[in-house]
Amino acid sequence: MEVSVIRSSQAKVGRIELAYRELGLFSSKAHGVKALNSRSDLCFSPSTRWKNARLRFSPMAVRSEPKEVSRRPKSSDGLRLFVGLPLDVVSDCNTVNHARAIAAGLRALKLLGVEGVELPIWWGLVEQEEGGKYEWSGYQAVAEMVQNAGLKLHVSLCFHGSKQPKISLPKWVSRIGESEPSIFFTDRSGQQYKEYLSLAVDDLPVLDGKTPVQVYHDFCESFKSSFMSCVGSTIDGISMGLGPNGELRYPSHHKTAKGSTIPGVGEFQCYDKNMLNNLKQHAEASGNPLWGLGGPHDAPSYDQSPHSTNFFKDHGGSWESPYGGFFLSWYSNQLVDHGARLLSMASSLFEDTGVAIHGKVPLMHSWYGTRSHPSELTSGFYNTCTRDGYEAVAQMFASHSSKMILPGMDLSDAHQPRDSLSSPELLLKQIRTACRKHGVEVSGQNSSVSNALDGFEQIKKNLLGENVINLFTYQRMGAYFFSPEHFPSFTRFVRSLNQPQLHSDDLLREEEEKEAVEAIPMTSESSINMQTASKS
Amino acid sequence: MSTTTIEPLLHRCRRETSTFRSGSKRFRPSSLPGFPRRLGFHCWRSFFCEFKPPHRPLLLRAVASSSVAATVEAFESSDVFFKETFPLKQTSLVKGKIFIRLGHGKKEQDWKLTVGCDVPGKWILHWGVSYIDDVGNEWDQPPSGMIPPGSVRIKDYAIETPFKKSSSSSGGDTLQEVKIDCDPKSSIAAINFVLKDEETGAWYQHRGRDFKVPLMDYLQKDGNVVGPKKGFGALGHLSNMFLKENALDSKNQETSTKSRVPQRENRLEGFYEELPIAKEVAVCNWVSVSVRKCPDTAKSLLYMETDLSGNVVVHWGVCRDDAKNWEVPVSPYPPNTVIFKGKALRTLLEAKEGGSGSFGVFTLEEGLEGFLFVLKQNENSWLNCMGNDFYVPFPSPTISTGLPKQRQTEGAETPGIPAEENEISSLSVYTGGIISEIRNLVRDFSSEKSGNTKSKEAQESILQEIEKLAAEAYNIFRSSVPTFLERAVSESEELKPPVQISTATGSGFEILCQGFNWESHKSGRWYQELKGKARELSSLGFTVIWLPPPTDSVSHEGYMPTDYYNLNSRYGTMEELKEVVKNFHEVGIKVLGDVVLNHRCAQYKNQNGVWNIFGGRLNWDDRAIVADDPHFQGRGNKSSGDNFHAAPNIDHSQDFVRKDIKDWLYWLRKEIGYDGWRLDFVRGFWGGYLKDYLDASEPYFAVGEYWDSLSYTYGEMDHNQDAHRQRIVDWINATNGTAGAFDVTTKGILHAALERCEYWRLSDAKGKAPGVVGWWPSRAVTFIENHDTGSTQGHWRFPGGKEMQGYAYILTHPGTPSVFYDHIFSHCRSEIESL
Repeated sequence: MEVSVIRSSQAKVGRIELAYRELGLFSSKAHGVKALNSRSDLCFSPSTRWKNARLRFSPMAVRSEPKEVSRRPKSSDGLRLFVGLPLDVVSDCNTVNHARAIAAGLRALKLLGVEGVELPIWWGLVEQEEGGKYEWSGYQAVAEMVQNAGLKLHVSLCFHGSKQPKISLPKWVSRIGESEPSIFFTDRSGQQYKEYLSLAVDDLPVLDGKTPVQVYHDFCESFKSSFMSCVGSTIDGISMGLGPNGELRYPSHHKTAKGSTIPGVGEFQCYDKNMLNNLKQHAEASGNPLWGLGGPHDAPSYDQSPHSTNFFKDHGGSWESPYGGFFLSWYSNQLVDHGARLLSMASSLFEDTGVAIHGKVPLMHSWYGTRSHPSELTSGFYNTCTRDGYEAVAQMFASHSSKMILPGMDLSDAHQPRDSLSSPELLLKQIRTACRKHGVEVSGQNSSVSNALDGFEQIKKNLLGENVINLFTYQRMGAYFFSPEHFPSFTRFVRSLNQPQLHSDDLLREEEEKEAVEAIPMTSESSINMQTASKS
Repeated sequence: MSTTTIEPLLHRCRRETSTFRSGSKRFRPSSLPGFPRRLGFHCWRSFFCEFKPPHRPLLLRAVASSSVAATVEAFESSDVFFKETFPLKQTSLVKGKIFIRLGHGKKEQDWKLTVGCDVPGKWILHWGVSYIDDVGNEWDQPPSGMIPPGSVRIKDYAIETPFKKSSSSSGGDTLQEVKIDCDPKSSIAAINFVLKDEETGAWYQHRGRDFKVPLMDYLQKDGNVVGPKKGFGALGHLSNMFLKENALDSKNQETSTKSRVPQRENRLEGFYEELPIAKEVAVCNWVSVSVRKCPDTAKSLLYMETDLSGNVVVHWGVCRDDAKNWEVPVSPYPPNTVIFKGKALRTLLEAKEGGSGSFGVFTLEEGLEGFLFVLKQNENSWLNCMGNDFYVPFPSPTISTGLPKQRQTEGAETPGIPAEENEISSLSVYTGGIISEIRNLVRDFSSEKSGNTKSKEAQESILQEIEKLAAEAYNIFRSSVPTFLERAVSESEELKPPVQISTATGSGFEILCQGFNWESHKSGRWYQELKGKARELSSLGFTVIWLPPPTDSVSHEGYMPTDYYNLNSRYGTMEELKEVVKNFHEVGIKVLGDVVLNHRCAQYKNQNGVWNIFGGRLNWDDRAIVADDPHFQGRGNKSSGDNFHAAPNIDHSQDFVRKDIKDWLYWLRKEIGYDGWRLDFVRGFWGGYLKDYLDASEPYFAVGEYWDSLSYTYGEMDHNQDAHRQRIVDWINATNGTAGAFDVTTKGILHAALERCEYWRLSDAKGKAPGVVGWWPSRAVTFIENHDTGSTQGHWRFPGGKEMQGYAYILTHPGTPSVFYDHIFSHCRSEIESL
């Protein structure tokens, strides 16, 4: 209780009042009115029994009434929690997949006090057959369900494809790609990544005479007009898909073999025709035409460790050479420019709606402990022990008044494979520092639902730390999400977010909570405890 | 004695007349407040009628009754254009008495307990005795000297003795009775009994409890000094209770005559008690209507007669179009007619000569389309036609007579697909109504208390709602997108295998199905039969099935195990068992094995001729048997719990016993594939031993049967059943929370609450559910019936007709609900499914 009094300075008066009413009721039962009056002096014995009793407040105070819950997140200090809808919520024939489950899930989330859901909208589904022909009905149906459930909607416009569930780029785009493979990212060995268009073609009229950015723009415009009624009301956030997996990055790790616990460094993706042209021009302009003939020859392949070849070596690696500097800045600038193109397009398009534009930046945390940060380098962030690569990114976000989504809020260093020298926590901190410096608002995501059980603690730490994050999207609804292994802990997580003053160790398992509430001897004894404590 | 308005007849009716099914279901009595009731149906509960039209409307039908034949003659056949006899099916309450007399026999030392009953029928007394030092509620076999001839022993604890015509019964009364001799020197503390109607299979119990006639006070004292108060203590309660119950009854059944005041005749030595009994009997009456053109006036003459006697009032009107709007015709009216609210007429039928039946003649003007009526017998018993009015069409000059008639026929006789749909939808409305009613009730109660409990309640219900929704979403996702699940799994494999649940309490999303009843052993191939139902059970949403005890057993039902490792039982062979387990696993249902750990039947006698040497793979001897049961001369330690007297109780304090049992349970898990246990009679030993077993066998789910009596004060069940549930919770605690327990408390409270509409019982002093669910929902396995309480044993049957309300409660409240096999594969199926 004492704890909660202190935290009440954060304007949670209503909650506290509730808690006190609670306290008053049950203490007066045991004629403990005195204890109530002298609450400032309360000093509770740390007995486990008292802990149990203290538990009484946590659920009650938070969810005394459903209305209370739904109002709460709007308070200034509130964390807005979103949950991602399944990636395949709309099927490729534009119907809502397992709508009943979605409806039940939405209702459950609403009751839990979740603010809204995130809806991935796939380019490959909406503009499936031919350019300029959009089919929004499936997503409109989902939006309506969400609206009816009284939830907010955060839309992610996905201009990438997905392997699982299998969602490809629009068929007409794929057809173009067959005749013109250079529209896709290509690695050193000539393999293409067909789930996102190479950023080098952004302004080239490769798609039936249109540039990809134009196509993206038309898509967004169609979205805007189709969801006119919702944008700005139900839809209060839009994420621009900026690259593979929706993130601002190169597909540097797409060939990573499954099964290895330690991710490799990935590969540079600068070998499609247009990228190479671009590189060549850039090299010639910088006076070193020989540097523009290809990517680094001494970079490792996807699954190799940094030290297997020369480029990323901690000491004397090519990344520290002038060539390395030249290549890496070009490579990363290409990415930042790409992001800028899309974010400026989106922010100008949606400016009048008042909807915040988000972009997602990956958390390439493996090998963060090396000097060269190879995973970040290959994915396009020129961030090493000597250079802050996220400054430029944050600045770009800031200049387009976009918010940054950072995944991996659930990852903690302790759970990373030791040999990968990975540090999600430090990387996250670095990016957030850059964002804070440039005034970019950060919202969080977890990277995967399946390690969530360990991750909830970490998420909480990230969300409620020094820099409060206002929006967190939990990924993602599905069978596992609602499974008995997962959902109860998610419930606890949500409830503990609403009651941050209690450390999760204090929150016993739900059943035990019930017991604590229900067991009569427990209650009376704890009130007695309280009385004695107040005398002391 | 009292209790007794049991309603098996409701189901019988349904079986007999399939056309009637929808009606009786739809009109399932609900005494919940606020449940909409249709006007004019105050008594539909006991009065059903059936519309049975003749095949050809115009054909004159011969009617069996001679009195009708006479009237037929009166109407010349050429003039009669409509004639029909409607059967009036109803169940009527036959009131009678049960006599219980304890008195001297011929000699002074001989005592005789006489139980008599004056209601006709084939009555059976199902009885047993309690010995002085017995604990708990179990019955024992009486000494053979007490058993009257013609009795049948029912297993080891009861006797069934048919009632015989009393020698003293006078001609008209069919008084039947059973006489039991009591030996005053025996250590019998009480005689327990229930009555069974052999024809209907209905049990006539005392509020879900046995009738109990205490003998100690009478017999051991000299008999003369017994004060009536003390002496009649037990029976005094009974009659008290009956009075209360009757008061309630009479609300519903206003036909019931004023309740009899139990007479108490105090004899010096014994006592004589008379208690009313009410039995529902299906009675079929009829009403016959014939219409004749009056040759002179062009008016129609309608003749109505019925075999109902007493004050039979026809509430009638006419209609001038197809819409069947009631209108009052022009006068003249028949004698004894009053206009009722300007809409209808009420005519009192005249009694026929001889007193058996009534009749009336109605003269009706021209140009009417039809004649509508319902019958009213006595004050509030309405008789109508499937919830509709009786309708007699008249021929109009232009419209053929057959048409409206046939339409009526179709509606009533053929409950085709639309009718079925109608039934289903009304059922869901019905069950939905119950659910919301119960919820509202619970809420209402808590709102009477402080806002504290109210918010707690609201919050609790939100949490439950969330859990329910999540479970629903989970099930759909799981079944419809296997690929998605695989992805989740493969991802988690990369990072960390998901946590295995082996706490024996399941995940909280289980719905348990008891996959057998007391008769399941009879086919000898139960496993195979069950196998075919696996998919169906899965589709109904069950996640766990409880299979019958698998071991070789002295009793066919399996609860008297002999050789633990011999799994060939009356339910099937071990191979079949494995197969059925496999089948259930395939459809995603976990399987519970019913393990009897408290007692085990010996296969050999020792040198004293006592059965206490075990055979088979676990060839224990008398050291494995508890020492405090003299019957079996065990040499083990004293029992750590209650004793089950019919078989040697295993001494679980012995290390070798525990090790063997652990090995056995482990073997069952591995060999058969059981996922968990249903533990029989866990009162018999300390829960801590059980924890040991569960730790060793790591079941997914385990539930123990801890069944003892609820607390009653003066025969009224106490509102506060904390002591009872505390005993169950104590046991769960002793297992360290590793096992759940059947929530007997909730069943008991539901008995009282539903039987007598005492819904205040559904909330305890703290506004929580009053059973174990209210304290420890994750460990409570709620049920309303199992093979012991219901089925053909019926030791503690759930109030008849209230099963759906019971299920509505347990399936919507916390705890793991368990549904009894009989209820799934019977009339309740669709309702349970919809819940």
